[in-house]
Amino acid sequence: MNVTLIDSPVANVANIARALRAAGAELHVTRDAAAIASAHKLVLPGVGSFGAAMAWLHETRIDDAIHEAVANGAALLGICVGHQLLFDASHEMGTTRGLGLVRGEVHRFDGPLPVPQIGWNRVHAKGSLFDGIENGTPFYFVNSYAAREVDSEIASAEYNGTFTAAAQEGRVFGVQFHPEKSSRAGLRVLRNFVACN
Amino acid sequence: MQLIPSLDLLNGRVVRLTQGDFATAKVYGEAEAVLDALDVPRGARLHVVDLEASRSGRPIETEIVRKLARRDLVVQVGGGIRSLDDARRWFDCGVERIVVGTAAVTSLLDALVDAFGPRRIVPAIDVRDGVVRTEGWIRESAVTLREVFARVEALAVPEALVTDISKDGALRGPSFALYRELRRATRVKIIASGGVSQTSDVVSLARLGNVSGCVIGRALLEQRIDLRAVRARLAAQHAVPERVIPCLDVRDGRVVKGVSFENIRDAGDPVECAMRYEEEGADELVILDIAGNRSSIDTVRLVAESIFIPLTVGGGIRSVGDFRDTLRAGADRVAINTAALRRPELIAECSREFGVQAVVLSCDAKGGRCAVRGGKEITTVDAIEWCRRAEQLGAGEILLTSVDRDGTNAGFDIELLRAATSVLNIGVIASGGAGRLDDFRDAIEAGGARAVLAASLFHDRVLTVGDVKRHLAAEGIPVR
Repeated sequence: MNVTLIDSPVANVANIARALRAAGAELHVTRDAAAIASAHKLVLPGVGSFGAAMAWLHETRIDDAIHEAVANGAALLGICVGHQLLFDASHEMGTTRGLGLVRGEVHRFDGPLPVPQIGWNRVHAKGSLFDGIENGTPFYFVNSYAAREVDSEIASAEYNGTFTAAAQEGRVFGVQFHPEKSSRAGLRVLRNFVACN
Repeated sequence: MQLIPSLDLLNGRVVRLTQGDFATAKVYGEAEAVLDALDVPRGARLHVVDLEASRSGRPIETEIVRKLARRDLVVQVGGGIRSLDDARRWFDCGVERIVVGTAAVTSLLDALVDAFGPRRIVPAIDVRDGVVRTEGWIRESAVTLREVFARVEALAVPEALVTDISKDGALRGPSFALYRELRRATRVKIIASGGVSQTSDVVSLARLGNVSGCVIGRALLEQRIDLRAVRARLAAQHAVPERVIPCLDVRDGRVVKGVSFENIRDAGDPVECAMRYEEEGADELVILDIAGNRSSIDTVRLVAESIFIPLTVGGGIRSVGDFRDTLRAGADRVAINTAALRRPELIAECSREFGVQAVVLSCDAKGGRCAVRGGKEITTVDAIEWCRRAEQLGAGEILLTSVDRDGTNAGFDIELLRAATSVLNIGVIASGGAGRLDDFRDAIEAGGARAVLAASLFHDRVLTVGDVKRHLAAEGIPVR
């Protein structure tokens, strides 16, 4: 299956590319807005700050390209900060608007456990993205912010309370964890996305 | 898991004794004022010990206990209860349960259960080196632990308070081994007492499964533990998997290993090792460039390209530029050591540039001080103080290696780990000394580590990563 990976400068694109290939993707890695707008299957990676990632999408007009692709029926998978970018807004250093493809907002998850969360955490999931994955399987997370209790939640995990580990609205998917660092379970999620119609 | 604050009363005030010695009494204040300051939630249990009563053999602090019992708390009181009359006096004060120590091995226990029911009696069993002690820690009892619990069980008493008196108040951690032994020996639930001095102790006790509550005394009074934080952490951390991390010490493109950082020998091909470890269930991989000159950057690239688990890389990182290059080579996180000791701001700079999650402080401790240059040189810097500073500067996790234990298979340095984990909010990776399966358990359970690291043990196939994870799971520690 052909997958277009958005070559974000604020992400470790190489690792995700390798994992997507291992998951069976014919990969096209690009920053070209036109190519992204016409893609059928898109992956939006991201690490670091929401604001910087969003600013880059805006400058490059890739934000519009993503909207166009999704409007034309493309499937989209956001990973980590890429997942957060799908929501309406994030409250990381003030409020920044996101892509608005998934309803909900991203908040810092302060509490007794240290932030950022670094490590494996059990994910309770449902839906096709998690086909073949046992409920409660751990995935690898690195995050200080997360969406909570959004309508589109398809997976949740516990860290300073319950947060959204994955969301889906139509053909737009987001995973807060790093599938490319989650060994077999992570590759299975990517394979499910790569194989979805 | 119930958190049970403990107030020891003497002459109307809250005190603490060390090793049961009245001469060492440290005064904390009036009971009600102390209780107010502890932020105990409504309906919680409160453990009160009438110390003078335990010495003289009759209830003394009844007026204070009456006041405490009027609050919305489940009060249990202990101290020198020797007769049904003593017990009745305490119940008349409004307490829910009485804690009977000396009586646990006398016929009085039967009479008390007969008179008041098994749920209102909490036998208190003091143990020193596996032997039951009675009479305010002075006389030694002739009965075995198993015999005592057989009696308790036969009387349908659901819970017993167990104190390892060799540890009480010494802040060296609870007696996990004793409670684990009791899990095999009895169905009676245990209220753990003694040695609970940091949040991870409570998490570890809860994971044992047979511990229904823990009494927290000094740690609470000295504000080492905050009840609210413990409750939240207990709820959150209980099921979070702890990590097992193989470490590849790399030089000239090969995995090598030495003892206490010396006598280096070849231990295999990095890529082969890395792939095998992922297959075995490793949660993360660490590569340390032991030449300390970043000559292993190509090895990092090759390993990063062959695994789908997180990779942390350290060794010879001297600048933000080195840090960036290492991330670009495929590392998810980078460990800084010597350069940060020389210039602590490097931690803050890397944390700002790449995020807290990317920065690991690698601290090599020798005799409590920081060692540099692969353990060859000991600085004057206190290792624990340095870890705290690194946390403030923006390190996301600490890789704490005991140079003394490294390669010895003598077990992780639990005291070093506790010293670190009791004062840090960020996670600590235990490193140096792993030899047996139980060592990994102890580093997490007693040491409070959030991850355990080993090298030669895995390279030499003495143990596999899978062996360690299965063992941890069997011991109640969640793993992936």
